[in-house]
Amino acid sequence: MGQLLASSADGIVVAAILAVAAMGFTLQFGLTNVINLSFGAVMTIGGFTAYLANVAHLNAWLGMLLGGVAGAVATVALGRGVLRLYARRRTQLFEMMMVTLGMGLVIDYGLQAISQNAIYGYTVLRGAPLRMGPIAVTPIEVGIIVMALVILVAAEAALKFTKLGKALRATAVEPSLARSCGIQTGRVVLITWTVSGFLCGIAGVVYIISTQSVDYSTGELFLPLVIAAAILGGVGSIRGAVVASLVMGLVTEIVAGYGGAAYSTVAGFAILVVVLLVRPGSVSGGAEDRQLVL
Amino acid sequence: MNAWGFYVATLLIYFGVDLLSGISLNLQFGYAGVVNFGYVVFQAVGAYAAAVVVLGPSGGVASFQQYVFGARLAFPLDLLVAAAAGGLVSLAIGMFSLRRMRRDYQAVVLLIVSLIAIQLVSADVPLFNGANGLTGVGWPLGQLLGISATSSPWIYAAWVLAICAAVFVGVTWLSRSPWGRSLRAMRDNEAAASAMGLNITALRLQVFVLGGAIAGLSGGLLVEYIGAWSPGAWGYAETFVIFTAIFVGGVGNYRGVVIGVLLVPVIFLEIPRFLPAIGYPGLIDSLQWVAIGLAWMLCLLFRPQGILPEKRLRVGRPVGPPETAVAPAEGAI
Amino acid sequence: MVKPRVLAVGAAAALGAVLAGCGATAATKGPLVVAGVIAITGTSSFEGSNQYDGIPPAIYEINHDGGVLGHKLVFKGVDTRGDPADALPAVQQLLATSNNLVAVAGPDTGSAPTIVPVLNSAHIPMMAVAGESVYDHNTAPYFWRLFAPDSANGIAMGLWAKQKSFTRVAAVFATDPGSQGDLPGVLASLKALHIQLVANISLTPDQSSYQSSVSQLIQAHPDVIMTESDGGTAGTFFGELKSLGGLVPIIGTLATYTPPWLTAVQSAIGAADMRQDYAGLITAPSKPTAAVTAWDQAVKGAKSKLPVSVHAAQNNPFGVTYYDGMIAVALAMVAAKSTNPVDFNKKIASVCNPGPGKKVVYSFAQGVAALKAGKQISYFGATGLIKFDKYHNSFGGMEAVTSSASGSTIKLGSVSVASIEAVHVKGVA
Repeated sequence: MGQLLASSADGIVVAAILAVAAMGFTLQFGLTNVINLSFGAVMTIGGFTAYLANVAHLNAWLGMLLGGVAGAVATVALGRGVLRLYARRRTQLFEMMMVTLGMGLVIDYGLQAISQNAIYGYTVLRGAPLRMGPIAVTPIEVGIIVMALVILVAAEAALKFTKLGKALRATAVEPSLARSCGIQTGRVVLITWTVSGFLCGIAGVVYIISTQSVDYSTGELFLPLVIAAAILGGVGSIRGAVVASLVMGLVTEIVAGYGGAAYSTVAGFAILVVVLLVRPGSVSGGAEDRQLVL
Repeated sequence: MNAWGFYVATLLIYFGVDLLSGISLNLQFGYAGVVNFGYVVFQAVGAYAAAVVVLGPSGGVASFQQYVFGARLAFPLDLLVAAAAGGLVSLAIGMFSLRRMRRDYQAVVLLIVSLIAIQLVSADVPLFNGANGLTGVGWPLGQLLGISATSSPWIYAAWVLAICAAVFVGVTWLSRSPWGRSLRAMRDNEAAASAMGLNITALRLQVFVLGGAIAGLSGGLLVEYIGAWSPGAWGYAETFVIFTAIFVGGVGNYRGVVIGVLLVPVIFLEIPRFLPAIGYPGLIDSLQWVAIGLAWMLCLLFRPQGILPEKRLRVGRPVGPPETAVAPAEGAI
Repeated sequence: MVKPRVLAVGAAAALGAVLAGCGATAATKGPLVVAGVIAITGTSSFEGSNQYDGIPPAIYEINHDGGVLGHKLVFKGVDTRGDPADALPAVQQLLATSNNLVAVAGPDTGSAPTIVPVLNSAHIPMMAVAGESVYDHNTAPYFWRLFAPDSANGIAMGLWAKQKSFTRVAAVFATDPGSQGDLPGVLASLKALHIQLVANISLTPDQSSYQSSVSQLIQAHPDVIMTESDGGTAGTFFGELKSLGGLVPIIGTLATYTPPWLTAVQSAIGAADMRQDYAGLITAPSKPTAAVTAWDQAVKGAKSKLPVSVHAAQNNPFGVTYYDGMIAVALAMVAAKSTNPVDFNKKIASVCNPGPGKKVVYSFAQGVAALKAGKQISYFGATGLIKFDKYHNSFGGMEAVTSSASGSTIKLGSVSVASIEAVHVKGVA
């Protein structure tokens, strides 16, 4: 029982890290319909930015903010700069995913070349663990959980109650109709790239706070989990992404806590496979390709 | 054995193995529109299957490597087992990953499958000796002829290329058959193909299993030459190298694939070995991957059809342009 | 359907012709090539960075002291990516383009099964790093190993735990090939020494968190952890272990006492805890000898070629072992008065192994001088006594060390060869 409680607590921490990234991912995925495989590379950019901020003796929270800004800048540059080149040439949705994959390779290995393929330690915001019976969490982990919840509530509220949120939902469902209703879809897309890029950068920083080091493959290794959580949660659903992250985080850590550490990520992915087997309709997102919105 | 001869023979063997991969992926992707991002898994499955039926029974925990299903099969059972294993695992994975789902979802699910596979094998030592992989694999056909793969690399190269040629002829023929035409119909317009009475799920599964069997065969051929095979060789990046080759050569054109495989995994990946070392160790390798990413992006931008574009079918009425892209939202541009 | 095949074969032949052209220009008399056949990229890339701490200093010293029989040595890195499939063409390309190749440092654990036979039949002496016990009874004449086999490292860890009266061991190993290769030796030696294993935890490298493994470890109440993994994984794991208050003494394999691992763990648990709790079992440099001084000088001289600081390289046990191997090869060439491996390979053991009437030398320059004076020599390396057995293996005693805040080696104690050999381990091939 103690182990189960301890593992569940750890699972919530892992879920919070995953959720920050998955929310950012699902936001841009839900609107543009592009599975952006360069998302992991941008996370790494955010991580390295925070690392450099730390080297420059900036406050760790400021470093996180800068990481988020770097993520937003990179995402907008890629989305508005690179992807639109392809959109003009009428590249299809699926090929667009391939383009983001190529982009991810360029960024990842470019960073590998710049960072000389070394691992850089990143230890900030450390504190004594808070204990409650078998559960032990560090203050920064509590901070990450709170942050994930704040993002969840803020994003859900913004989507539901603000004008921009309504415009975004309308654009995601039917871009041409949204346009004819006078919604400036271009602006909606730009804002979405910015916000999701910011979350992506933050996620990179949160991730390296947990792993305590950063290297060129940091985001690339985490990306499959992020995508799995986003798909499991349903396209564009912020809530869904958080619930899926929670399920995956709990499963990986409980499996690890009961001696299956080597199988923990396998178990996390296996959920997606099982859900596909049992209830394909719930996650398949329809058999047809959707429209590309850029 | 002359060192140059040995090197060139090895490149020819790798070319053959990569060409089999290219043919398999082109059949799946170029003809049927199935995006197999987990390709390398089926190749590895074939390789492991060939290895364990060549190595003989496992010595168990006491020996330096352990594995399941150890046996000592003679040629040609080793390669048949490799192909069958690739096909069977494809069937199992295809059953859930090829359901009616968006193509990009399918691709990502298969990518995730390849990540699961490598972690599973690394984590589980009794299965295939964990991260250390298997070593000491022989070449059954060579044993029959009294030669070994590494002492007669030219003979091995000829053998691989002969198999390659046979697969090339067979798959090209299949692709032009009515079955191949229904694959293209499914790729270009799934709803219409379905309305015409084609069983989409069954077609997808068929092409997936056939491609998986070719993958298994290629893995078997590679492992019998190298004599060792470790999970480290299973990185999903290997799949992307072959995809790049197909994009460069020409999607849906087997001759284009031959050119692409020659250009990308063989020539492009070998050239850096001849460059003088610059920067820190490993810099050239990083830049090579940057170049692959750029080549991939530029190909998709300027010549998405590749060096040799797909040929239009001359049977019956001309088919329309493949799946016209949805115009991007104008307001966004 | 013949056309594509003809095209392929034709193109391959053309490629061969082009490549052959390149080779012809390289095939002139000049410097001798020493190649590092090792994983420079991929999951085992730390093996490559270890090698780059040792080979450039050896080459610097040899060239600085006049070279080998008038030839300078040059280094060429060959990346195996830790995978036999990538290693094979890389090594064949090396053999095809460098006919002045005299020795190879490597191959690494991952590529050894495929590469050792290839280099052996090409008559290229190799100073291997592969710790597998398969090579404990090696018969390939061109294979040499100065590194302790994995099982010896495992036994030394067990003996050190016994010396320190630890009774409850937790094994924490990552699932990469290097770490998994070292795990069986550790487990078997614990069994042989009757030390209790309270937890055996495998870590999948590069996860965001290992909290559950950490809490599982804490609940098993070990009094010591035996470990190997890459630096990033170790940093995450031990950082979390520390913040949850479960840090106990750590005994690391030889592979942990390398710059990436030490840097990552030191940054995660802090220099003071590192100094107090960590012990790595490394090949012992027996005592400060002239050979150690020569090594330190050589590292300083090769400063510009090193991937890490001089200080870190000087303290890398892998680096110094590679250095000894290369000095031994160079002395063998001088002794055989030949740069042809077929001639000097036989001399590698005889310039190192001690014997009556042999002059003990501690550096390349001393060795050359003694050989010129017509003496038989025995090279006493920076890693200590070198004594190749009939299987071309040589390993000395082990030493438990830790790392200071500035990265200096602090000696904690030693484990002798005799005590390692006295432990009979079952079940590890």
